[in-house]
Amino acid sequence: MKHPLTSNYRLLGFYVIFWAVIGVLNIILQVIWYNVPLIYSLLETASNFVLYPLLGSSIWYSIRYNSLEDVSVGRLIIFHLIAASILCVIWVYISYIIYQPFVEKGDKFLSDVLPTKFLAGYAMYAVYLVFFYAVNYYQSLKEKIKKESEYKALIREAELQALKSQINPHFLFNSLNSISSLTVSNPEKAQEMVINLSNFMRYSLMHNEKEMVPFARELDNIKLYLSIEKVRFGRKLNAEFEIDAHCMDAEIPNMILQPLFENAIKYGVYETTDQVTIKTVCNCEGSFLRITLTNDYDATTLKRKGEGIGLRNIRKRMEIIYNSPELVKVTDNKTSFEVQLIIPQKQAVS
Amino acid sequence: MSEKLQTLIIEDEELARNLLRSYLKDHADIEVIGECENGFDGVKAINEKKPDLVFLDIQMPKITGFEMIELLDYKPQIIFTTAYDQYALKAFELNAVDYLLKPFSKDRLLSAVEKVQTRIANEEDVSDKLEELSNLRPGQEFIDRVVVKDRHKIHIITVDQIRYVESLDDYVMIYTNDGRHMKQKTMKYFETNLDPKDFIRIHRSYIVHVDHIAEIQQYEKESYVVILKDKDKTKLKVSKTGYKKIKEVLHF
Repeated sequence: MKHPLTSNYRLLGFYVIFWAVIGVLNIILQVIWYNVPLIYSLLETASNFVLYPLLGSSIWYSIRYNSLEDVSVGRLIIFHLIAASILCVIWVYISYIIYQPFVEKGDKFLSDVLPTKFLAGYAMYAVYLVFFYAVNYYQSLKEKIKKESEYKALIREAELQALKSQINPHFLFNSLNSISSLTVSNPEKAQEMVINLSNFMRYSLMHNEKEMVPFARELDNIKLYLSIEKVRFGRKLNAEFEIDAHCMDAEIPNMILQPLFENAIKYGVYETTDQVTIKTVCNCEGSFLRITLTNDYDATTLKRKGEGIGLRNIRKRMEIIYNSPELVKVTDNKTSFEVQLIIPQKQAVS
Repeated sequence: MSEKLQTLIIEDEELARNLLRSYLKDHADIEVIGECENGFDGVKAINEKKPDLVFLDIQMPKITGFEMIELLDYKPQIIFTTAYDQYALKAFELNAVDYLLKPFSKDRLLSAVEKVQTRIANEEDVSDKLEELSNLRPGQEFIDRVVVKDRHKIHIITVDQIRYVESLDDYVMIYTNDGRHMKQKTMKYFETNLDPKDFIRIHRSYIVHVDHIAEIQQYEKESYVVILKDKDKTKLKVSKTGYKKIKEVLHF
């Protein structure tokens, strides 16, 4: 930890001004009220309110390396007594050297003043001690709070990372198999699919770096994802979008929609032999972006076991980002499944 | 080999079917006699056409490849094709059938076919091993449905419909709200594959769904019966260990 006076110029300024004011007041008082000769008053002020504050600033080091918690009270008292004594000796000695040229021989000023200075020196030492301990305590408290909030931010970050969706290996390998098949029958389409898959992967890897993206970007990625799945599922997968044009600039956490579509495909498209429509409706109301995803599913073959890990993660992620648990709504109509995301916006979108 | 292997492809994705067909097209010993898009058609086709070899996808709509095997009267040689699955390793350990991980090469497929040919030449019986394979549990997940077949139809019973399961020698009888279905499976299978939070093995012969228990009665010293919620108030015997398990699950 740095010396508070050299690291904090505001504090240093206060320190200088404080002693300057006291010094000036002292001179005025002594000269006018007590009729002390100006030269003596100046000397005293220089010694007490300039020299001592200069030397005294070093007292910080004596408390810096003797924290109240780590050192026993006895050792602390002895240490500070010795330190105070050394400081007082130095202080009085330097004062003596400064005073000498100005004081006539035989004047009792020196012998009157110097011994009492020792007492004042010890008292001032005690005041400094309290002052620096207070400063030290305040500084370490501030540092601790700062570290704590940094730590909390780190945890939050890590938690968010863990909640973000990972690419499903089934999806990846099945897509690669489709590509493998297309290289035989339709190389051009195979190439197109490789490119789509790459772009989708790139976006999903990028999500490690950035939390929020424009809705248009997220939507593009979803369409990319669906185009890849469409190659696999053909007419079985039917995606419909109803999106207000002015929603496009809204902000949305990235890769938050993909797990929803993945679920819709897994439970809707994959489990049936008929065509399944995944319908996406988006609108903006004031400072909210509302996204509703609906898909049919075959209730006779599937028993939905509450919320899967995908939905649970989205719910948690939304909760961490927006600090509100009510932003994900799930409705199971037994033949269709609906998920609604409500995404708060910093600025009203209109 | 004089006769070609009669081969059936069961796979829900068109592109995957195309690939298989193109790999097998010029194989001298293979004749593809049909393709199915789902497990229902697959069961029908196998039982009717009795192919020598089946390429079977595991993840398919309606019923999975594994569930499909349970419904077969006739067991052909099976090569599984799948994208990614915990089953793969287990299946290799058992060496019951070959296992192709998508995407796979033509060479890999041909070596699988060779294995099948050797197996047919040695007249190995695979049905037991297949049975064993279908007893595996995918990962740590409990089953959420059971597939059964009566004379005409395939029924998919989600586990929440099951009231209780009764053992009948080599078979089990599954009692649901609508009726009962026989299935060739062991009690052990149901005991390990049904979620023990919902299903309790109360007796050597019974596994019961806790939600269907109306009351538990003592009818002799140290012996109990469970009375179910149905209108007949079906009574099922409870063994000593069964009673302990009920106590554990229901916390009394």
